[in-house]
Amino acid sequence: MNLETGKIPGYQLIFLIMGFVSSLSMLFLPTQPAKNLAWLAILVSIIEGLLFASIYTALALRFPGKTLVEINEFILGPLVGKIVSLGFLWYFLHLASLHLRNYGDFFTIVYPETPLIVFLIATIFVCALAVKNGIEVIARCSILLVSLIIFLYFFDLFILLKEMDLSKLLPLRNVSVQDFFKASNAVNSVSFGETIIFMMIFPFLNKYVEARKSLLAIIIAGLLIAISAARNTAVMGDLLSIFQYPTYETLKIVDVGDFLTRMEIVVSINFISMGFLKISILYYGLVLGTAQLLKLRTYHPLVFPFGVIITVLGVINYGAISELIPFALEIYPLYSFPFEIGIPLFLLVTAVVRGLPKKTKGDQI
Amino acid sequence: MISLVILTFLGIIAIEVPGLIRKKYWKELIVFLLLLFIAFIASILLAMGFEFPSLIKGIEILIKYILR
Repeated sequence: MNLETGKIPGYQLIFLIMGFVSSLSMLFLPTQPAKNLAWLAILVSIIEGLLFASIYTALALRFPGKTLVEINEFILGPLVGKIVSLGFLWYFLHLASLHLRNYGDFFTIVYPETPLIVFLIATIFVCALAVKNGIEVIARCSILLVSLIIFLYFFDLFILLKEMDLSKLLPLRNVSVQDFFKASNAVNSVSFGETIIFMMIFPFLNKYVEARKSLLAIIIAGLLIAISAARNTAVMGDLLSIFQYPTYETLKIVDVGDFLTRMEIVVSINFISMGFLKISILYYGLVLGTAQLLKLRTYHPLVFPFGVIITVLGVINYGAISELIPFALEIYPLYSFPFEIGIPLFLLVTAVVRGLPKKTKGDQI
Repeated sequence: MISLVILTFLGIIAIEVPGLIRKKYWKELIVFLLLLFIAFIASILLAMGFEFPSLIKGIEILIKYILR
């Protein structure tokens, strides 16, 4: 029995991935070691991200109509496949809680008096409603929200033009090679690598070959992030590395004729909408994956219990936001390595070597 | 605070369980109740002010242990 009857067209996938990749990245990226070369580090990480995404699409095209959980079970067998899938589900769960917490932390800066838990519960409730309505609803939301974000993005860029000083992007040889690649690898693992979750969504495309469009989406989103990093550096210069949320601090500077001031709240619009998309997608993948792992007939009853678990994990993730940057730089690339590239690559190599799937794919669209 | 948590969980049960019983989805019901039980224990502990260890610290220790 099919768990999800919804279908999404290819262009909605582009919007979904753009929203997913650029959400957190417009606000907070672990580029501190790369200093003024953050934008270049992001450009390099796009290449790495494309490599990852092409592995995911190759797998998705090899097994049309199968999600990651089903592919695991198909290639690795029932027992090992289930254990590996359980690992992935933990990763999605933890990732959703990390993003939820990050989201809540940002709002405690905008609204200092409100307790953190209020934002977490309010957010996860909206996401739970979206997930209960299925992938089609999330995909349609993404069109509206991502269009709004792109408009605001160019608006921000335009009003900051006056403040920019491109010489702040120099000198180019300020950063050691090691630091540079550390930053670009960390950027890749927190933004592009997390698109592994789309392995849960590719089967619901109208035409499965459209999974290839994810590469295009990653390039567009990567360029947007890189330009925003370059913009922030051109405005703030070396000051940038001390801020927790660079884009937020950068837009505080805006002052167009004493009229357009305090534009930093525009960033929070970005963050509200993109964070909603990102958490919803991760949440959806988690719930759907669990239902497939346990061979349930519907995923709807799992939505609310997982919502509570994500919220609790979000609270206990870390004490203060300042713990997150060292984690994102040092530990997270290692932690996410097996999930983002290790296991998918292993699955692809195994499938190619064993010549899976053996059946002709004539019965698919 | 604790009564609020209990109220939330009763609300979730009231929303989900009748539909599941009507459709005779027993397996789904068991998974639902199991997950809800885990969520309930965790959120009651949180509401009572239990100090959980930091999750990302735990992952850090685990990764360092594996790669040592």
